[in-house]
Amino acid sequence: MSTETASTEDTSGSGLLPAWVGQYLRDHTVHIAVVALFVLYPFAYDFLVGQFGLFAETLLLRPRTMLTVLWLGLFAMSFDFVSGYTGYLSFGHAAFFGIGAYFVVLGYNGQLPLLPAELPFMTLLVLGALVAVVAAVLVGLISFRLSGVYFAMITLGVSEILFVASKNLDFITPGGSDPADGVTPGTPSSVETFNPELGVPFVDALQVELGAFGDTSLLGLDLAPMFSETSPAIVVSYFAIGAVVLLCYLAMQRIIHSPFGRVMIAISENEERARAIGYNTFWFKMGAFAVSAFFGAIAGGLLVGYQGFINPQNSFFFLVTGFALVAAIIGGLKTLAGPLFGYLFLEWVEEFLAREGSGGGLQPFLEQNIPDSILDATISGGLTVSKAMDSFMTGHGEFYAGIIFVLFVLFVPIGLLGTLRLRLGTESVSKHVSRKIAARFGGDK
Amino acid sequence: MTGLTAALDPALAAGVPLSVGEVVDLFTSPTEFASVFVEGLAKASLYLMIASGLTLIFGLMDVINFAHGAFTMYGAYIAGTAVLALGVGSMGLVGSVATFLLILVGVFVLLAVLGVVFEVALIRRLYEYPPIYMILLTFGVSITMEELMRMLVDYYNVNSGREAIDWSIPRDETIPESLDGTFNLLGVSIGGLHPFQILLGILTVAGIWYFLNETRYGLFVRAGVEDDEMARALGININRTFTVVFAIGSGLAGAAGVMLMWSPLWRVNVPLALGVLLPAFVIVIVGGLGSFKGTVVASLLVGMLDALATWAFRVEVVTFTDIDQLLIFAILVVMLILQPRGLFGVEGQGDHG
Repeated sequence: MSTETASTEDTSGSGLLPAWVGQYLRDHTVHIAVVALFVLYPFAYDFLVGQFGLFAETLLLRPRTMLTVLWLGLFAMSFDFVSGYTGYLSFGHAAFFGIGAYFVVLGYNGQLPLLPAELPFMTLLVLGALVAVVAAVLVGLISFRLSGVYFAMITLGVSEILFVASKNLDFITPGGSDPADGVTPGTPSSVETFNPELGVPFVDALQVELGAFGDTSLLGLDLAPMFSETSPAIVVSYFAIGAVVLLCYLAMQRIIHSPFGRVMIAISENEERARAIGYNTFWFKMGAFAVSAFFGAIAGGLLVGYQGFINPQNSFFFLVTGFALVAAIIGGLKTLAGPLFGYLFLEWVEEFLAREGSGGGLQPFLEQNIPDSILDATISGGLTVSKAMDSFMTGHGEFYAGIIFVLFVLFVPIGLLGTLRLRLGTESVSKHVSRKIAARFGGDK
Repeated sequence: MTGLTAALDPALAAGVPLSVGEVVDLFTSPTEFASVFVEGLAKASLYLMIASGLTLIFGLMDVINFAHGAFTMYGAYIAGTAVLALGVGSMGLVGSVATFLLILVGVFVLLAVLGVVFEVALIRRLYEYPPIYMILLTFGVSITMEELMRMLVDYYNVNSGREAIDWSIPRDETIPESLDGTFNLLGVSIGGLHPFQILLGILTVAGIWYFLNETRYGLFVRAGVEDDEMARALGININRTFTVVFAIGSGLAGAAGVMLMWSPLWRVNVPLALGVLLPAFVIVIVGGLGSFKGTVVASLLVGMLDALATWAFRVEVVTFTDIDQLLIFAILVVMLILQPRGLFGVEGQGDHG
């Protein structure tokens, strides 16, 4: 539909919108389609689960998990932005995620110098990202003198120091609880409970409150009556956070397709040659690192915005970076959108094969559809089939994720989007397909 | 010595309140000093056992083995299970030590076999790829191995009605009473395990040194580290050498796990894998990638500083619980700032992605 409006605008040039809008929309047909799918997903989920019940629940990701995919996907994209495009493996990238998350919490609780307590969420989110930029510049100053394994290790060292600090510094939790158990915004009793508003600043109608108990209406439209199987608050948060992730993605994509981004790619391919041509690669690497830190911190802040809670294990921990790496490889390193799809795939596998809590997945489906006589049958020595399923199919998603990851490394080393890109023989899948569609329907290409 | 003083700086820079009077006490009381020194040696031995396998594998094969910690964890679990099954804890000192040594050898062999399988089935496919793929592959294997162990322990717990305590085998169920606690030697208080750990650390260094310098395969390994294409051209079967070194490295990882089973700091549990992997990396990097000498020196450095930090915590000069972990990564960062290639690193090793 976008292409049709675009082509009419394009020929006249003096229509409602300037000509570049049409060009822009035409270039981004695939992006628009993907965004549309993401927008439709909660509605589709609700409809299908209502229609097919357990069967649909088994196969589809819950909207709550899709939320996780959004912020973790943004984090993995920011990781890919520096690690994929410049070739410098930022192994301590979780540091920026953690900085973003902890800044929101500590800033809200009024524990940071110069900041009054209970600032709006948006302010804290952006300030936290700027702090991450400063941190990235400091880390970059010492670590970009090194390369390869040494670079990876020094960034890892910094993030581990932050991890240990976040587990032990008592000032994080003024209430006296163990900082290793995490902290919530609003911890000292004088601080109001956390109401994170995300949206366009100063425009009330364009802001929503995040969280499982947040707003249920979006842009004045009450979503509550439309959803029977999903909590409408989750869907509203999903749209709001999704919009931020989309903006961040477009910003990063813009940078990568700019001359600056070309130099980043040149650095990953042959840094010495890039330097010989006359680019000061040090500052280009610093720039890329700072940008990726900014978006990594935004991802961390979004996590806190929705969950209203953060602990060291989910922020500064080494495996947070580790799984961003896994997602980036599965989706395709050096493809910006790839890591998001990588996470989508990964989370689907984990939810399907390893149920967490009361979530969907294969196990409840099997339990309902396999007759009791088989479930209670013993395999050996007191072990029944249902007990075996309990120990192998509950909460062990990392096992399956690990196997899939190894298979990807061995057989699809360039990832999902990377393979697609290679097949199409293009640098950007989105642009390529968009042009193909435009040529087909617009007829002027 | 400059390295040591430099590495002490981060502890000060991190805002750890060291009071000068207490530190002077340490250096004026010979018994206190000796006991910290022995503890430092014991810790250094443990660190050395963890890191030596990693350094051997990296030096020859340029493989950063992220599954190393998982191998250590498997070693610890196998040993812990064997000790429980055989009831070593109730044997006397001689009997328990003899059984323990048997278990140590057994675990070494088992893990070496696992290493061979791993190398032949997976690692070998990726020699032609950029080195980052080796990190990815071993990382993936590591995640899978850790979660597999969680599953097995879960399964065991479900079936034996045992409470899942952090998926761990508690230390007090496996350690012989005679080795638990401390004893006095000339007024110096020494942990019962320390002499044992130091002895095994020395044996490890001697064994690896002997392997590298006195055996035929050691010669191949040194040739391969120097220039693997040239070694290949001279008719050395480098691929088989890779397999042997990987087996030895994995075996050493497992043996380290057996030692960690009794260490009050580590215990047998799944998080052990990551808990061991990261310090091992730090030691390998601080010592210089691929240099065995560097690894030995770095282990001593880290072990001593760790003992010092633990002591500082014990006498409450420092009130930061995980001071040892903080210290290790501070050493890494400071070392990389001062000496980017580590203590004995070689130009060009590990620079590429």
